[in-house]
Amino acid sequence: MVHQLLPIAAVDFNTLPQQLVLGIGIGAVYALVALGYTMVYGVLKLINFAHAEVFMLGAYTALFTAWYLGFSPQSLQALERESSWLNLLIMLLASMVICAIIGVIIERFAYRPMRSQPRIAILITAIGVSLLLQYGGALFLPVSPPPSIDERVNPYRGAYTITLSRPSDRLLGQKEELERQYQESNVAFEKQLEKEKSRFDLSPQGIALRNAKQEAERALRKVTDEIAASGRELKLPRGQMIMLGATLILMLILRHLVLYTRTGRAMRAASHDFDTASLMGISVDKIVTVTFIIGSALAGAGAMMQATFIGTPLTTFYGVSLGVKAFVAAVLGGIGNIPGAVLGAMVLAIAETLVVWADGSKWKDAIAFVILIAVLLFKPGGLLGSSKVEKV
Amino acid sequence: MNWGVRAVSIVAAVGFCFLIQTVSLGFGADIQRLIALAGLYVTLAVSLNLINGITGQFSIGHAAFYMIGAYTTGYLSIQFLKNSGMPGPVWLLLMMLAGAIMASLAGLVVGLPSLRLKGDYLAIVTLGFGEIVRIIVVNSPFDVSFFGVFKFFTFPNLGGAYALDKIPAIRELWLIWLLAVVCIAVCRNLLKTAHGLAFLSVREDEVASLAMGVNVTRIKVTAFMIGSAFAGAAGALLAHYETSILPSTFAMDVSFIILTMVVLGGTGSITGSALAAITLFALPEVLRRNKEPVTGGTFLAIVIGVIAAVVLIRWFQNEYHGSKNKKTAGYFASVAASAIVAFGLTFALNAIPALHDKAFEGSKLRMVIFAGSLIIVMLIRPEGVFAHHEFSWTWLKKVLRIKPKSEALAT
Amino acid sequence: MSAVLSLKGATIRFGGLVAVNDVTFDIEKGDLFGLIGPNGAGKTTCFNLITGVYRPTSGEIFFNEKLINGLAPNRICAMGIARTFQNIRLFQALTVLENVVIGGFLRHKASLASALAYLPPAITETSRLEREAMDLLEVLDLADVAQTRSADLPYGKQRRLEIARAMATQPELLLLDEPAAGMNPNEKEDLAQTVRLIRDQFGKTILLIEHDMKFVMGICEKIVVLDHGEEIAYGPPSAIRNDPKVIEAYLGEAV
Ligand SMILES: Nc1ncnc2c1ncn2[C@@H]1O[C@H](COP(=O)(O)OP(=O)(O)OP(=O)(O)O)[C@@H](O)[C@H]1O
Ligand SMILES: [Mg+2]
Repeated sequence: MVHQLLPIAAVDFNTLPQQLVLGIGIGAVYALVALGYTMVYGVLKLINFAHAEVFMLGAYTALFTAWYLGFSPQSLQALERESSWLNLLIMLLASMVICAIIGVIIERFAYRPMRSQPRIAILITAIGVSLLLQYGGALFLPVSPPPSIDERVNPYRGAYTITLSRPSDRLLGQKEELERQYQESNVAFEKQLEKEKSRFDLSPQGIALRNAKQEAERALRKVTDEIAASGRELKLPRGQMIMLGATLILMLILRHLVLYTRTGRAMRAASHDFDTASLMGISVDKIVTVTFIIGSALAGAGAMMQATFIGTPLTTFYGVSLGVKAFVAAVLGGIGNIPGAVLGAMVLAIAETLVVWADGSKWKDAIAFVILIAVLLFKPGGLLGSSKVEKV
Repeated sequence: MNWGVRAVSIVAAVGFCFLIQTVSLGFGADIQRLIALAGLYVTLAVSLNLINGITGQFSIGHAAFYMIGAYTTGYLSIQFLKNSGMPGPVWLLLMMLAGAIMASLAGLVVGLPSLRLKGDYLAIVTLGFGEIVRIIVVNSPFDVSFFGVFKFFTFPNLGGAYALDKIPAIRELWLIWLLAVVCIAVCRNLLKTAHGLAFLSVREDEVASLAMGVNVTRIKVTAFMIGSAFAGAAGALLAHYETSILPSTFAMDVSFIILTMVVLGGTGSITGSALAAITLFALPEVLRRNKEPVTGGTFLAIVIGVIAAVVLIRWFQNEYHGSKNKKTAGYFASVAASAIVAFGLTFALNAIPALHDKAFEGSKLRMVIFAGSLIIVMLIRPEGVFAHHEFSWTWLKKVLRIKPKSEALAT
Repeated sequence: MSAVLSLKGATIRFGGLVAVNDVTFDIEKGDLFGLIGPNGAGKTTCFNLITGVYRPTSGEIFFNEKLINGLAPNRICAMGIARTFQNIRLFQALTVLENVVIGGFLRHKASLASALAYLPPAITETSRLEREAMDLLEVLDLADVAQTRSADLPYGKQRRLEIARAMATQPELLLLDEPAAGMNPNEKEDLAQTVRLIRDQFGKTILLIEHDMKFVMGICEKIVVLDHGEEIAYGPPSAIRNDPKVIEAYLGEAV
């Protein structure tokens, strides 16, 4: 490759900006989920293992809503009309509302009865709830073949392309020429094939034509690669732009809620010192409920957007890997710290993209854990948090 | 110390292992395999109990050590068994040792962060460690290098995402159960000495334990190393029993299953862990064998029954202020009433066609039952079925004679 | 001069709060030394500094002329400083006897291996520690509840058990954090005698925190007073009693 600066295997600086764009999109989802972990941890000092399953159920809610709106596998064949932004909004709100309800139910019936127990007991309950939703969900939800939200529900498909630097006209001309040659040789070969006995038993003439075709294909690919390497463009998938925008709006709303409302102040007080807050007449149950509502609704938003705009197939284990990563993001930013969760999410997502970019995609899922262990060992308070000395 | 009693119990233990072997030879291969796996799960649960229950270090990645033992020894056997010319059982013992050493080194690595981390943080780290081990195996073989320029060595091929197979088969049921017995004995012995108390003190209160001069660091790391050594040895036995192992054999849910066994049995209770391991291992097999699917109606009825029982029992625990005897009677009544209601509902609900037609295979319910029992135990008896009790003849007599104190078994 | 314990300008900050500020005092061998001050004055924090729970932000702490700042708590305990906790921290699920055996654990001489195999060294060591623990329980009048779960003890006995457990480490210096809190007058009287006994018969040096002025003035020979982390007075009870700064610090509280 031309622009290689370091003797690092398979690193191509031209693809870096594109990778970063993708990374930020993933980071947005991590951030939305990480906020739920961090807020619940702040108030209850509990790693809400079931949060990942709330996310999973949010994705399923989005799926069912999309089906209900006419984008189900049966009705899609006959689908004529285009989707609209309204559909997306309905899906988003549905996911957020349902997730909020599920979060509150889990808190009310599984965590609240445990509040006087040691923390480990609540943690085990959380693990239990998480497993129950994963495996119990698999009994009732469609899991095989894994359904996914049809991309046609998103009216904003495709990508904006930003050209950073154009490839030379000479190369572009060459490419056009080669493309034509390739087409011709291909057609010639196909014609010849009709005369042949079989594709694998060619006459000398057929072999010559096949070689010519392959030659043309190789030349074309070489030029295409060169163009890719010399011209730089940035593709901004429109879905992901919406995702970022929506995340930003949600964060601003959250910021307002936390900083400028009574409930938000009470929440921060409870997060600072739970027992004192309850002594000061703050209704702790209410605060915990609100925390679960907000955290779960954000997870629901993240789930809807990931399922719709990134479009991965759903299973009841949809939240597992993402949940752990979002938790790592929360710890990385400083658990209990709201801006920290967002920062941690972005750092983690970008770290993952960089690993993929440096040709380490098979290690992508390990990087979160490596970061986690490193943070806990060297800066247990996280990037923005401060580590507290335990009172004795 | 009475050496005579000691000798007799050692002989009895070994005899018990051979008895299991002899009896199981009378069954088919699949039952034999179940007996073998049950023995391995007893080892896993009891060894995790040492870390979780006795030392109080909340680890939820125990399967990783099992995996390390299995893969290390599987690989070694494939490479070297043929040339070694050793008889199977001797080689297997050697492999158990190798698996134990590798796993306990890994235990050391995981134990170190536990020095600075408590409770839930440690849990996440152990979980992450398990995932890292799995990812390493899945990605094998790979070169360990400095950004692709300076190659240190090549990590051996462990089958990647596919199976590591053609491991020489060495199936010694007695050895599997002997490991379980040794594991139980070691934990029991520990708890009978002052050393064991030091382990327990770390669980009870780390700060106080430090203030009493207990080297908490050393104890935590030791607990991790001993616990994972047993898991590693169990892994070695598994690899040579199954002859083919997959990364998914050791996935996260295996760790959760082992954890459930420990929690359900009673954190800290060796008896509890061992019995829970056998029960929880047998349960899904029973479900699997029962070919008749569970209908939606039956399932729903059972769920309602269980919820009713939990709610009633919690009511008796928290709101009812009667004598202890009356409370115990209340628990029994709650369970009985819920069972009757569930039984009645079964018929009623199955009469609804939609519920009758939706049927599950029993085996799919396995993890659902585990998860459900985890929550239920936490809600009504967080200390686990056996709590901190151990089986002993005096304890059994006490339980049987004084009925009301037998909640330990009742709930 | 050979002070058993000396603090030289010990200071610790938690964020903006200076919990202990430039505290300096010496404790001689055999002293029965009092540390008093209003709530939140930083007394317990002083104990935490001495026993290595917190590391001082600045200043030095010497034990028998050895610098002990920043050592791990278990090392400090092994050197000969033991403590009790204000907010009782017993090993709750364990019996009274077991609690005290753990206190003696740092003196056990059997290897872990012999414990795992239940071999004679571990067995004899365990029974030796148990015997020693029983002796201590006799002294502290807890022998009759030796097999009770420590969480099931009444409050006063839990406090005594804290002392027994600390004594089991065979310390040279014993730190008692509000040992009489929550006790009735009779229990307090017994406790005062026990504390004197520990000093006189066992030859320990004792530093104790206590809010009950009658108790402190009755048994301590020297007293340091802290207020808002600062050392405001130092001297024998008679001097402390009449010190205007102390009276001001305790204004509203009965001195
Ligand atoms: N780990 C910590 N983090 C933050 N602040 C702390 C910590 N430990 C102690 N403090 C603060 O230091 C101050 C002194 O506390 P300390 O417990 O030493 O008081 P005390 O003199 O023992 O009071 P009391 O008589 O109530 O026991 C208090 O304001 C307390 O809140
Ligand atoms: Mg205090």
